[in-house]
Amino acid sequence: MKFSFTDDQRLFAEGLRELLANECPPTLVRDVWENGTGHSPELWAHLSGMGVLSMLAPESAGGMGGSFVDAILLFQELGRAAVPGPVLEHMAVAAPALASTTFGASLIAGDSIATLWVDDSPYVAHAGVADLILRDDHVLESFRTTDAHGMDGGRRLFTVSGGNRTDATPNVAGLDPFDAMALASAAYLIGLSERMIEIAAEYARVREQFGKPIGSFQAVKYLMSDALLKVEFAKAPTYRAAFSASIGADTLVRDISMAKALASEAAYRTSRSTMQVHGGIGYTWEADLQLFMKKSWALMRSYGDANFHRRRVSGFVLA
Amino acid sequence: MDLRETVDEAAFRLEARTWLEANVPDSSLPSFDTAEGFALHRQWEKKLYDGRWSAVSWPEQYGGRGADYIKWLIFEEEYYRAGAPGRVNQNGIFLLGPTIMEVGTDTQKERFLPTMASSEIVWGQAWSEPNAGSDLAGIKSKALRDGDDWILNGQKIWASRAVWADWCFGIFRTDPEAERHRGLTFILCPLDLPGITVRPIAQLDGDTGFAEIFFDDVRVPVENTLGEVNKGWGVAMATAGFERGVSLRSPARFSEAVNRLVALWKRLGDKSDTALADAVTDVWMQAEGYRLHTYQTVTGMLEGRPIGAEASLNKIFWSEMDVRIHEIALQIIGPEAERMEGPLERWVDGFLFSLSGPIYAGTHAIQRNIIADRVLQLPKGM
Repeated sequence: MKFSFTDDQRLFAEGLRELLANECPPTLVRDVWENGTGHSPELWAHLSGMGVLSMLAPESAGGMGGSFVDAILLFQELGRAAVPGPVLEHMAVAAPALASTTFGASLIAGDSIATLWVDDSPYVAHAGVADLILRDDHVLESFRTTDAHGMDGGRRLFTVSGGNRTDATPNVAGLDPFDAMALASAAYLIGLSERMIEIAAEYARVREQFGKPIGSFQAVKYLMSDALLKVEFAKAPTYRAAFSASIGADTLVRDISMAKALASEAAYRTSRSTMQVHGGIGYTWEADLQLFMKKSWALMRSYGDANFHRRRVSGFVLA
Repeated sequence: MDLRETVDEAAFRLEARTWLEANVPDSSLPSFDTAEGFALHRQWEKKLYDGRWSAVSWPEQYGGRGADYIKWLIFEEEYYRAGAPGRVNQNGIFLLGPTIMEVGTDTQKERFLPTMASSEIVWGQAWSEPNAGSDLAGIKSKALRDGDDWILNGQKIWASRAVWADWCFGIFRTDPEAERHRGLTFILCPLDLPGITVRPIAQLDGDTGFAEIFFDDVRVPVENTLGEVNKGWGVAMATAGFERGVSLRSPARFSEAVNRLVALWKRLGDKSDTALADAVTDVWMQAEGYRLHTYQTVTGMLEGRPIGAEASLNKIFWSEMDVRIHEIALQIIGPEAERMEGPLERWVDGFLFSLSGPIYAGTHAIQRNIIADRVLQLPKGM
């Protein structure tokens, strides 16, 4: 029994954090929101170059050949930076699932961009910038999109019609694409939550009222420490789910659902608390907090919300 | 990362399970906070010690097995699975023992650890005072040096197990000029010395699990000092960190409790009540989350990343979870939840006991301050 990441895994995640600190600051996220694309080709190229996008694709197809344990801290780092565009969809599902198809080479190289439509939502996230959409049993290309006005400018929503179909059976190392995305989203939500807490803690250190930094008031300390508690206790279940995915454990579905339920609730609690700590400025377009909050509100509902996943856990635990 | 047990760990688990199945008493013992229960629990501890199971993580020379933290967690899982008795000497074995190993002299280790492991000496805590609870650094009880002795005067309160324990450990002010955290010394003291009066305090459940201790010119040799003179705060905080962090409430306790809760729900729960099913699932996930979190913490400790202020997160988490587990149980058992004696009394008693969790070993208010100040680096308040 050994519940820790290797030095290589930690170093890779630290490298990604550094890359994103430089290449994906809040100003970049805000730019892609405001220019209407929800995607940055330059950032995409950086992530491709580092091997992030192809982490889960097999080495035989030109990928990094990593497992979900190798990828889970990367999902978390992507969340810390609120990375826009179909990065999770491409990385966690499309590239590995289609690696051995005719689409594989350009997906793994990052030359073409894929997004997913594997839930029962009428909307497809990121379809406006995607070359192909992986659906339940086929791939769509040359489709038409209509903007559905998603709240998160880094995860734009569309309705999709038409397109050319190619049959495909997506399978990511034994995982259903929906479950793979639930797992990736759980880690991304944890990263978002960590960043929201950092932003609010920094604000609480400098914002003064009654002649003191507001972070010295117990009411503010409690809001912050209660949020941190939920986030910290969502981490180990998420890492465990990644391990279960990497070995195809019998408890895989239960473990992923537990992770997504806990991470979704932690992220929502964190968004409420950190916005409250900001006061009026938290309710503005100008504050960077919204970039992280809105992403968390989008992802906590995607690929199963906390209720859906809790009921799935119930099915195993109370059976 | 590999969350599967090694062959060695599985063998250890089997050995523990086999021994416990053969030795755990068939019927539960009376509470160790009664005279009869205390004696029976001391006997049980001796039996554990004879099987070398009383302090598995201690070095062999002091009666342990030199087991690493992972094996300690495995042992705890088996211990709770077997429904074995509560640990009457937990203040000693899980809190003071590790502190003595860290800061004690060799002589102190030889003198105190084996009798602790066998529970020949059962330990009580003597930290809080009437005016030094959450503000523990406000301690006023004094130890004045007189030749080779300390002379202790003052009053301690909420001293766990002190009613029937043999010795206690506590911090005393040894430098009357120094303020707050400075000038305190960690002293070990027999509870049967002249000048000591122990006054039991009845807890919410009616048992006398804690007490007041009055010190009136009590003479203790200076060799009973643990760590350096006037550096007792640091010694106490090492103990407190361990208590909040890992050792006080092992995850197995809650895994076992939620398993019982799930069984209770299956037997008596209203299956049409989906909110109830959600609540049971929520605490099951909490207990599982706590277990996983602890394995991660412990792996980190084994790899040289010691636990720090994050220990306060654990303490809030497990104590709130424990209350929640019992709240849900009482909801399920309905009218039986009002009875202190009856077929489901364990849940009622457990509920009362769980309510002490957010208070002892540092209240939630204090833990949240610690998290905010030391983990989140927010400015000090108050």
